[in-house]
Amino acid sequence: MTVTTPLARNRRPRAGRTALNVLALLLAAVWAFPVYWMVNGSFQSLSRLRSPEPAWLPFGEGTSADAYGRVVDASFWDSMQLSLVVTLLAVGCGLVFAFLAALAISRFRIRGKGAFVVVILVVQMIPAEALFISQYKMLSGWGLFNTIAGLTVLYLAMILPFTIWMLRGFVAGVPADLEEAAMVDGCSRFRAFFTITFPLLAPGLVACGVYGFLQCWNEITLATVVMDPSNRTVPLWLQGMTTVSNKAIDWPAVMAGATLVAVPVIALFMLVQNRMASGMVSGAVKG
Amino acid sequence: MKNLTRLAVLGVVSALALTACGSDSDDASGGTTVVKLWLAGEKDTPEELTTWLEKEYEAQNEGTDLKIERIDWGELIPRLQTALSDAGQTPDVFEIGNTQSPTFTSVGAFTDLSDKLADLGDNVGPESFLEAGAYDDKQFAVPYYWGSRYVFYSKKAFADAGIQPPANLADFNKAAVTLKEKSDAKDFSGFWVPGQDWRNGISWIFAHGGDIAVQEGDAWVGKLASPESLKGLQEWKTLSDKASTAPKDGLDEESWVPFNNGEAAMFMAPGWARWSVEEDKAADLGGFALPGVGGGAAPVFAGGSNIGISAKSKKQEEAFALLQLIYSDEYQAKLAENGLGPANPDFTSKMGDDEFAQASIAAASGSKLTPASPHWTEVETTKVMEEFFGKVAGGADVAKTAAEYDAKLEAILNK
Amino acid sequence: MAQAMTTPDAPPARTDPQPPRLRTRRRRPAPYLLLVPALGTLALGLGYPLVRQVVMSFQEFGLAQQFGTADPEWIGLDNYADVLTDATTWAVVARSLAFCLAAATLTMLLGTVVALLMRQLSTAPRIVLQVSMLAAWASPLVASLTVWNWLFDSRYGIVNWFLVTLGFEGMDGYSWLANPWTFFLVAGVIVVWMSVPFVAFSLYAALTQVPEETIEAAQLDGATRTQRFRFIVVPTIRPVLSIVMLLQIVWDLRLFAQIKYLQNAGGTVSETNLLGTYLYQLGVAQSEYGVASAVAMLMLLLTLGLTFGYVRSLLREERTA
Repeated sequence: MTVTTPLARNRRPRAGRTALNVLALLLAAVWAFPVYWMVNGSFQSLSRLRSPEPAWLPFGEGTSADAYGRVVDASFWDSMQLSLVVTLLAVGCGLVFAFLAALAISRFRIRGKGAFVVVILVVQMIPAEALFISQYKMLSGWGLFNTIAGLTVLYLAMILPFTIWMLRGFVAGVPADLEEAAMVDGCSRFRAFFTITFPLLAPGLVACGVYGFLQCWNEITLATVVMDPSNRTVPLWLQGMTTVSNKAIDWPAVMAGATLVAVPVIALFMLVQNRMASGMVSGAVKG
Repeated sequence: MKNLTRLAVLGVVSALALTACGSDSDDASGGTTVVKLWLAGEKDTPEELTTWLEKEYEAQNEGTDLKIERIDWGELIPRLQTALSDAGQTPDVFEIGNTQSPTFTSVGAFTDLSDKLADLGDNVGPESFLEAGAYDDKQFAVPYYWGSRYVFYSKKAFADAGIQPPANLADFNKAAVTLKEKSDAKDFSGFWVPGQDWRNGISWIFAHGGDIAVQEGDAWVGKLASPESLKGLQEWKTLSDKASTAPKDGLDEESWVPFNNGEAAMFMAPGWARWSVEEDKAADLGGFALPGVGGGAAPVFAGGSNIGISAKSKKQEEAFALLQLIYSDEYQAKLAENGLGPANPDFTSKMGDDEFAQASIAAASGSKLTPASPHWTEVETTKVMEEFFGKVAGGADVAKTAAEYDAKLEAILNK
Repeated sequence: MAQAMTTPDAPPARTDPQPPRLRTRRRRPAPYLLLVPALGTLALGLGYPLVRQVVMSFQEFGLAQQFGTADPEWIGLDNYADVLTDATTWAVVARSLAFCLAAATLTMLLGTVVALLMRQLSTAPRIVLQVSMLAAWASPLVASLTVWNWLFDSRYGIVNWFLVTLGFEGMDGYSWLANPWTFFLVAGVIVVWMSVPFVAFSLYAALTQVPEETIEAAQLDGATRTQRFRFIVVPTIRPVLSIVMLLQIVWDLRLFAQIKYLQNAGGTVSETNLLGTYLYQLGVAQSEYGVASAVAMLMLLLTLGLTFGYVRSLLREERTA
């Protein structure tokens, strides 16, 4: 079973192919431009950033990388560390828990399955802006205020519903008869699942993982109320730089901070995406 | 089954990690009492002051540890809404924006300071700040520092246009239009008037004797449509049309940007805006208090903070000692030296004697606050005033819009 | 495997058939145990807040109750009555529904196009497209909202600059956020820009599940390109497609950060509130927790109503499966 061979590749006429490539580059430009503008902004001076003549290029006269020096301080590393720990814990546990649940509801007959699925859908309909005061009270009551465990539990609860839903869809997309064929060949059910279905789910797991990661990575409301002001996650750290406080906002520094926060994330996911494409993940789980 | 083992290991590791990070408790450890002070804004109270406060407090109160935390303005309200209600997490002393204090004084979040006011000094002000911190004839919050808004201008632009800093409001309005007309620069503003900038625009209403809303008997009555307010609004609207090229949906944030870009001759902002003007423009920068209708200074919107003790704090005495230290002569002098208006007017002169300090003190002399209703915060967070000024700037009928927004204000303030 | 070929018009639900004999043989508790971690975490993280939410929606609950200076008072359905008789609520609901449907539709369309493109492209353009999408996705919210706000800035914005360069002189200094229509246009652009990467990557992942052998077999059997797409690709990705769509609707209905940011940047709050910001206004700004809870409950009902058809068909699938 070759998972990674792209569908119907190389079967298009050349002209159609070129048109598609051009369309893709156009879309890529639209999606990349604001990000380019962010990176570009981090190299401009404050006055060039808000001037009638746009400063297009991040190099040349009037640009510098000073802003990076201004943002990288102890508080940056503290925030990075806190955010990374909480996010990775939440996403790691989230994927495992959601995967197990998705497996249960799409591969087994379970009483009350419908209710479970609907409840999971419903709980994510209420925005965090409505719940945070209760969540604060709860954590504070358990002595989990200002703890990694407390914030992680809230984040887990935040990303679990949609992860279960998504993974359920991915599991459903793999025909069960593939597994059964393997079982006929003498595999155990679990073995059949892990050799046949799991590799097919890997891209889905990554997509869900990325989404969950970014949800936690960007979350502000809960991180504000359940953590002490001295323990700030990355988005709070970044947001702190954008509020006027007896001083003009150092926008180049904000953009530099944002770039520093985004680059590792992008790099990490390109890496995961490629590893997956080269079959290393599926190879590893076949063990 | 290697895969399952891996999953199990991952699960166990995460479980361990979750339980491993215990809570770092703020409570007394090893016999020291931790007193927690929340200051608003990342940089509003300079580092020099907080260091002094920590050292001095711990020296004067043996066995205490003063922990100062800075709360971002954007996080302040949600944090106060949660932490103040919780004896375990509440700060003992906390700063709050002056217009935000009525929301919390009315629900019992502050300790009543009425009986102890004398212990803070016999000369506490400004009066409008005390009013904002009072509820039901009790004093809950006291002034921390005040700031005021004044006009910044380009000396060169004034010289080029052959005009002097104006002596009264009519002159100011005229000067603003003249500056725009005499400039050849594209999109030049004589005076930068962003459409939604009500915090500065309100001065034109105040100057003519108008107001936002006043309490008559038990009810708040909107005053935007009063003849005095309308007169001020008309003048402001004329400025917005004839002296300014600022966007009609513009905010009061970053008013120095057009000045830095050489696109505006004047802008009005809180005193600290001075430090946001580019260095090469600093020599050209001047400041004066917005003149009143008959000369002097026009009333401006008072910025600043109140400070108080959390009712839920278990360290009331220690907290009050901290408040006393903040009201000590030394700290008051330090506030003033750093450009923050001190609660004790004896120290106002320490703010300096250059034109900026003079402008600041002059402007503060007639400063006014927003209506001291517990519901005023709602007006601010729902941006009713921004909307109103934006609509006036955008060309809506002034009298009709004012009446409409009076009704909106009354609906909120009289809840 | 051959099944998909011989009955090409089989409804997609049946791509997940499960011969009953396998299932009846399984021991009972095992599948339930698989649900325990997820259910446990949800109960832990959301159980109490959700219950309290429901309770508060029937109470008079404001800051005074929060600080314990007054006791919460049971007021039955008063909060609901207040909310439902307020014309503002209905305006907000209508606006939210319209915006949600428009944004979700556009997001799904663009996301599907991008996902299909990723499967068809040569390596280099594909990687460029993927990196762009990932970059847009991974940029911190605060930064990307600021940048978008700058791009649409009336005075210094690139968008106005570009339009003027193209010859639209009237756009010089145009205030995008002042008018509710252009406000939502800008909001729509930002929301779609932020959501498309998720849809694209999810569908792209689903497309990799399409069994290559089946496609090849179909091709040998003479199935056309369109037929292969309709009868093999679509049924395989359908579960993910419909779930992504469902989630998109749920998320676009409770939008908060983007709208709030644009309101702060110059929008007219009373004319641009969507459910998320309206709820925030009631709960955080006005500290009317009781009323805000009632609005949250109504949002829940609204979302359920909106997704009812899909959820029902899904439940039917579950029952017949």
